[in-house]
Amino acid sequence: MFALPALVVYIAFLIYPALSSLFFSLTNWDGLSATYKFVGLENYVKLPSDPVVVEAVRNNLIWTVVTIAVPTVIGLALAIALNGKVHGKPILRLIFYTPAVLPLVSIASIWGWLYNPQYGAINSFLRLIGLDGLAQPWLGQDSTALWAVMVPAIWLRTGFPMLLYLAALQGIPNELYEAATVDGATRWQQFWHVTMPSLRPAHYIVLALSLIDSFKVFDMIYAMTYGGPGTSTQVMGTWMYFNVFQYYQAGYGTAIAVVITLVAIAVGIPYVRSQTREAS
Amino acid sequence: MTGSSFTRRGFLGLTSAAVAGVGLSACTGGGTSTGGGQTAAASKNLRLFTYEGDETIGLLKAQIKKFDAENGTTTTVDSLPGSGAAVYPDKLRTELLGGKGPDVWRIWGGQIGSPFAKAKQALDLAPYYSKFGWDSKINTAAIGGMTFDGVKSGVPFVSLGIGAWYNKSLFAKAGVSALPTTYAELEAVNDKLVAVGVTPCGLGGKYGWDIMRLFEYLLEHTAGPELHDKLLTGDESWDRAEVVEAFTLFKKWQDKKWLPQGALGLDPADIEPAYVQGKTAYTITGPWTEAAAILSAKKSPSAFGNFELPTDQTPARHSGFVEGYMINAKTGNADKAAALIDFIVQPATQKALQVSASTVKGAEPDPKALPLSAEWADKYGSNPFYTIQDQAFPKKQADQYFSVQSDLLQGSVAPDAAAKKMQEIVSAWAKS
Repeated sequence: MFALPALVVYIAFLIYPALSSLFFSLTNWDGLSATYKFVGLENYVKLPSDPVVVEAVRNNLIWTVVTIAVPTVIGLALAIALNGKVHGKPILRLIFYTPAVLPLVSIASIWGWLYNPQYGAINSFLRLIGLDGLAQPWLGQDSTALWAVMVPAIWLRTGFPMLLYLAALQGIPNELYEAATVDGATRWQQFWHVTMPSLRPAHYIVLALSLIDSFKVFDMIYAMTYGGPGTSTQVMGTWMYFNVFQYYQAGYGTAIAVVITLVAIAVGIPYVRSQTREAS
Repeated sequence: MTGSSFTRRGFLGLTSAAVAGVGLSACTGGGTSTGGGQTAAASKNLRLFTYEGDETIGLLKAQIKKFDAENGTTTTVDSLPGSGAAVYPDKLRTELLGGKGPDVWRIWGGQIGSPFAKAKQALDLAPYYSKFGWDSKINTAAIGGMTFDGVKSGVPFVSLGIGAWYNKSLFAKAGVSALPTTYAELEAVNDKLVAVGVTPCGLGGKYGWDIMRLFEYLLEHTAGPELHDKLLTGDESWDRAEVVEAFTLFKKWQDKKWLPQGALGLDPADIEPAYVQGKTAYTITGPWTEAAAILSAKKSPSAFGNFELPTDQTPARHSGFVEGYMINAKTGNADKAAALIDFIVQPATQKALQVSASTVKGAEPDPKALPLSAEWADKYGSNPFYTIQDQAFPKKQADQYFSVQSDLLQGSVAPDAAAKKMQEIVSAWAKS
């Protein structure tokens, strides 16, 4: 009985809307009318032939790989650096983590200005140092737009792995390093054979949470490029939004949401299993 | 062990369900209501939803306060200024589906207002047109812009024409002594501006609708009024020489640097006012720019001017659209909401609101308050207009069209391929 209030909230705000969404993904509801028709799996069947879905999946994959790999490597490097004898460690930690707590829309606005092709700081700097040829309309061409949005994403996502790794590094017993030193291990060998294996649980958490986060990407792209130019920066999250909220194709858009969710679950299950295994 | 196994699986299942719930509930708009709930109970409270900017919301609230004082109502005004038709309808839709929609809302005509009428979220206003005599008070063509499938679902109060708004000092700097009256003269003006280091036309491609104003003008120039109208309704094929020529000119504007560098990635909110800041020579916009960009920047309107973009066609037309108010079909206060709209469309209220292009007879812009808007209305207000293209097409088709624009300007499709692609988009829509 003690769990009943929580269960009611859980059912009302998670299970019921989730099942409703699943249901609407099987209809042709426009998202506004009082009527709709049951269309079975038609919305799902249409997905592979939608060229924007194909483009969005490709962008999601690129986004996932880059915004996991780069922040993880940088975060680990920063954590190792901050784990040593560094002056002003708390301030540096704060500086590196601050982007993670800034509102995403603010970050998008700031970087939107930095990327402004005429007056933005990036192109202005490139022109200042004589690299005019490298000045680009970063957000205004297919070839650079997605990559340009990923840069601030990397910037704001580096703080999270840094903190996790830093906590994990501080938990590695010093005796392991002392023993390795006695055995004649170089610093590089200590890193690969002591540090990295000891960080395995942290790697797992960083990877799993970052993966789930990457599949949900929406806000940075929506705010910085609105999915454009054309559809070149559309990802599944934004394409779902456009269909549900802008094109009055709620049934189809909800089918995209279901697919995103299934992928997130597939990715999340190993993480959840590992956590429950440890707990038991 | 059984217990342990059950707990683990249970936890796994519940956690997965939670992930699923969070993911899926993100797109339900907070519930499964498809009708937005029951008709609300009558009360003295009204809510009006609009997208007025900071420069005009105060005027609106002052007039609403006056209405409340006269009618014993309490009206809340909510505004969502900013990215225009790209975001506002979503917010409105979500509110309506959540059963907490406003009693009255402002909306654009054409294909932006249409879904609300067709989904019967907006009230059929025919009885109120009769009651308040709106047919005789409001411009007939504008009423047509808010009539959907023969149902008058909105009351237009503004009919806006799009033209060139320019910075006089930059035109003078380039040695432009007379405004262009032909397309060739406009191109010559652009060349002169570029020669003195000034970007001629400030338009941005983010969202698509801003830079679209250039293409639709070019299409009017190459296709002419009759064909342009038929293209917009899908009655003529886009795969034709006139469209190819318009796309060719569109690319030319970018290649000759008559548009800002990287125009496709620019936000209209940043680049449109650039002509006021002296960063571009002109933009393609409507009379709202006088209050929103010139007056709000504390600049004198005398430093700026406007002209209808020359099409070399007869009749001379410009792009235009209407905006008006709709009433929630579920409101319990339909009579009061209609009375509020009637109050807003009174000439005195329109003048107090400084509406720069009112549809209401007797509410022409005040030359003292908005001299440039008054000048536009005087010179071009009676000229016919073609439907602005993001209202001519549903949002999905408009976005596909914006993609074609984008691909063309980036050189990934040629003008003839762009025309063919447009035909595919429009014919698929027309068939549906």
